Amino acid sequence: MKKSEILTCICRILFPFILIYGFYVIINGHLSPGGGFQGGAILATAILITYIVEVPILEDIVILVKIEKYSFFIIILVAMTSIFTRGSFFTNFVPEHMSMGVKTIFLLILNFLIGIKVSTGLITILTTFMEEGE
Amino acid sequence: MIKKIITIILLVIIFLSFSSILIDLDVDNYAKNYLFNNGLEETGSKNLITAIYLDYRLYDSLFEAGLLLVTVSGIIFISKRDDDVI
Repeated sequence: MKKSEILTCICRILFPFILIYGFYVIINGHLSPGGGFQGGAILATAILITYIVEVPILEDIVILVKIEKYSFFIIILVAMTSIFTRGSFFTNFVPEHMSMGVKTIFLLILNFLIGIKVSTGLITILTTFMEEGE
Repeated sequence: MIKKIITIILLVIIFLSFSSILIDLDVDNYAKNYLFNNGLEETGSKNLITAIYLDYRLYDSLFEAGLLLVTVSGIIFISKRDDDVI
C-alpha cells in the first residue's frame, strides 16, 4: 500500500480520540443512543487505523480469541444470576423494589462486557483478513 | 418503452393499494405505551432501546453475541494454516 504522509499523520492524531469516543458510547449506552455493540464497532475501527499507520498494536490473535470466549461466558453468567434474586432467567439481577440508580449497575456491566466482546471479535476478523491479504 | 410504462403503472398501483391499506390500518400501541410509561422505572435506563435489549429481551442480545462468536470461529477456521491451531 502506498504510504501517504498526511494520512499517517491524521490517523496518528485521530487514534486516541476514536478510542475515547468508543468508550464513551459504551459507558453512556443507557443514557444516549449507542450501546455495547456500537461502541465495540467503534473500538475495532480504532484498531483498524493502526494498520493504515503500519504500527500494528495487536499481533497475537490468540489472546483476543481467549478474551472473547471468556467474556461471552461471563456475560452468560452475569445474565443468569437473576435467577437467585428475581427468580427468572435473563433479566436484571437487582431486585425490583430497588431504586433506578442501582439498576443502572447491571446495564453498565453488561454494556461494558458486550463492548469488550464485540470489539475483540471484530478486531479478530480484521486481523485475520489482513494476514490473509499479505 | 412499453415495458417501462407497464412497470410504472404497476408501481403506481402497488403504491396506491399499500397506502389505502395503511390509512385503515389499526396499529396496536400497547407495547409502545407500556415501554414509554414503565421502561424507565423498571429498568433504570433512559434509552429505551437499551432497556429492551438488556432487560426485556436479554436472551436475544445474548444469542446475538453468540452469533458473533460463531462467526469469528468460522472465519478463523477457514483462514488458518494447517500447522497453527488456536
